[in-house]
Amino acid sequence: MSTDTRNPLVRAESSALERVAGGVLAVSVLVFALSWATTFEWLRMGDHVAGLPMVDWFGVANLLMGGALVTVGLASWVGLVDTSPSDEAGFVPGIIFGAMGLATGFFVVADWLDAGALAGLGAGVLVGIAAVAATVVPREDLGSTLVPGSGALLFGGLIAFDVLTVDWWFAPTWWSMRFVGYWAIPIGTSLVALLTVWSAGKARSGFGTAGRQTGAFALIGLNAFGMLSILTLVIAYVVSKGLPMLLEGASLAGGTLSLGPLSLPWVQLPFVTNATGSIFVDVPGVMPAVMGTIWLVVGAILLAVPLGVGAAVFLTEYAERGRLTAVVEIATNGLWSTPSIVYGLFGFAFLLPRFADGGSNILSGQLVLGFMLLPLVLITAREAMLAVPDAQRDASAALGVSKWETIRSVVLPSAAPGIVTGVILGVGRIAGETAPILLTIRASNFPRSSPGVIEGFRFVGSPPFVTNDALLQGASALPLQLYTTIQAGQSPRPSEFSFSEFGWGVALVLLLVVLGFYAIGIASRIYFRRKIRS
Amino acid sequence: MSKSEIDNTNPASTDPETRTVAAESEETLDDAWTEYETSGDTAIEVEDLNVWYGDDHALRDISMSIPEQSVTALVGPSGCGKSTFLRCLNRMNDRIRAAEVEGSVELHGEEIYQDGVDLVELRKRVGQVFQHPNPFPKSIRDNIAYGPRKHGDVTTGLFARLTGRHEGEKEERIVRESLQRSALWDEVKDRLDHNAMDLSGGQQQRLCIARCLAVDPEVILMDEPASALDPVATAKIEDLIESLAEEYTVVIVTHNMQQASRISDQTAVFLTGGQLVEYDDTETIFEDPESQRVEDYVTGKFG
Repeated sequence: MSTDTRNPLVRAESSALERVAGGVLAVSVLVFALSWATTFEWLRMGDHVAGLPMVDWFGVANLLMGGALVTVGLASWVGLVDTSPSDEAGFVPGIIFGAMGLATGFFVVADWLDAGALAGLGAGVLVGIAAVAATVVPREDLGSTLVPGSGALLFGGLIAFDVLTVDWWFAPTWWSMRFVGYWAIPIGTSLVALLTVWSAGKARSGFGTAGRQTGAFALIGLNAFGMLSILTLVIAYVVSKGLPMLLEGASLAGGTLSLGPLSLPWVQLPFVTNATGSIFVDVPGVMPAVMGTIWLVVGAILLAVPLGVGAAVFLTEYAERGRLTAVVEIATNGLWSTPSIVYGLFGFAFLLPRFADGGSNILSGQLVLGFMLLPLVLITAREAMLAVPDAQRDASAALGVSKWETIRSVVLPSAAPGIVTGVILGVGRIAGETAPILLTIRASNFPRSSPGVIEGFRFVGSPPFVTNDALLQGASALPLQLYTTIQAGQSPRPSEFSFSEFGWGVALVLLLVVLGFYAIGIASRIYFRRKIRS
Repeated sequence: MSKSEIDNTNPASTDPETRTVAAESEETLDDAWTEYETSGDTAIEVEDLNVWYGDDHALRDISMSIPEQSVTALVGPSGCGKSTFLRCLNRMNDRIRAAEVEGSVELHGEEIYQDGVDLVELRKRVGQVFQHPNPFPKSIRDNIAYGPRKHGDVTTGLFARLTGRHEGEKEERIVRESLQRSALWDEVKDRLDHNAMDLSGGQQQRLCIARCLAVDPEVILMDEPASALDPVATAKIEDLIESLAEEYTVVIVTHNMQQASRISDQTAVFLTGGQLVEYDDTETIFEDPESQRVEDYVTGKFG
């Protein structure tokens, strides 16, 4: 098709081009997913699939994609298929491909073939220029398929002819890094797949404007998929490692729930419900650490939310915008970016001597975490209040309602979802903090009982009238429990459980507790949103 | 409150005749219009009002008197100061830090720009409806009852229920009457607990008027209340304004000349520079104005 004819308005049947390019697109996405799965060891390179080991499948897929892409590009160039390419593929792909060519040439010649840095540089520049030229000089259909296609062909060929194998390794002289086949092949394949996805996406829509749209969509879609898979990976990895420990001795109805005189069968989960260091339990558990984390978070929220929201109300509604608010804003951002170990050190040096004769105690940990939470609550509460439209304040003022009543009945309800979001984010961070509590609450590595905060409250006849000894004693918390387990290098029951089994179990419970806090926060945000429906 | 109780420092208010005098600048002196005697009792008397926003002199020497139980329209091109003037009447300009107000505004003979004025009481008596409908994101009932609850006119809530001082019936009556007077009752009576944000724009604006009526004001200020609405909703608002004037004093800013001529009893024309150029019966303004510029403006030749 010549470029001066119009594109058909409707394409009823899919052309050969669309089928081939669509196939490459599908294979690219599949290969990308497989290479991620292999990188993170859900699949093994040596596993045989349909008679061939995974590594050979990667070779075959790369060869297929490369061959198909080059064919499509050439077919479009000579006019065998119906496309509408622009005059050139553009400079951005050119520069990217050029940089890749430079790196590849340099690596192969200078290090792999041991020809020295100068020769490597020369080869790199030559390959780079060739890649740029192949991208920028010809028409778009060739320019955007040649380099990705030949790259895939080269990579696939190296695997197919057993140059790159699972055991292949390569250590550059100037870099303390070792490339080993079992991870370099999937990583390389996923990079190649990013290129081929873009290229095949362009080809699928016949290049030109429509092609660029499809190519960009395919590329960023794959990126989003990659991000999602990292998240899934982390969670799935922790779950798979920690689940055996979590379910150790668990049963659905083996436990009992005592409700006064009633005794009902209940879920039994000894790893969660048992004490850590007790010798009277079959399975050492993490209950003290779970309770410690919960008390820390509750204390931090009780300190930070009223203070932070109050300060935000003052700054947003009362204080005149000027030097004071600017200084407070800078101070808040500074507090938020202060490293947590510095908070911990402050708690250790300043708070500990003031409570419980300098021993570790929960109260100091709560205060330190509260200080850490404070700036985020303040910042998000301020943002949320600034987002409440002035029209609502005007409406309230025009009814003769005083400022404080307006804040209480109009501004704060409207800002509540935003404030809750801030608290959720902050709690997610502080629940997993290790450094500050390491220096403030750490007592024994494997505590024998949970902190008895609720039953620890006592009324006394002299100020401060309410005391709580449990708050003035050290405790454990989930991140701290994980840290001490790893640092001690042994589990509370070394003869039965290895420290890594126990540690993964703790990590999984920590993850679940943090997700639990998120769930509570999200539920309350939904509740407040529904209430104001703004 | 009777007039005798008030410490009259302003001689104009002792004058039995209520007069409005044109600002004495070159532009207006050339024209013949000098004063306008309103009929009926005066609700608001403005004397030599000047407003600055920083260096910007937004209103110059405005003097006019606004009669009770009537509709007074303020018209003029954008930026001529009519909204600023409106906001002076319930001191909403206090909420703008840069605004500086000089002169005198009397509400039933009481100076509102003096020390010790209770802004809560003032704004209860001089309510305002804004250009864009601004209901609270609460239920229709909560929107209407918001003012009475905050002013302690009705006691509701859990604590009141527990102590037996819950005035649900009184609140219900206020909500119903306010919505009836703003001609919204029939449309929303079955869904008082729905969120006000779900109403259409015109309904929201009538809700805002009802919310204003619920605190039982004397004067209602309206800042282009129909400019964001479609013609049908506008017609409803206009009918409503006319009926409100039987009981309340309505001051309305509008860009729409036809609207001003349809609904208002007297019209004040502001032209650029923050000056009140002419103030007279609406009929006179639209049919036989004294100033050529006003005639040009109201007939659409300028502005």
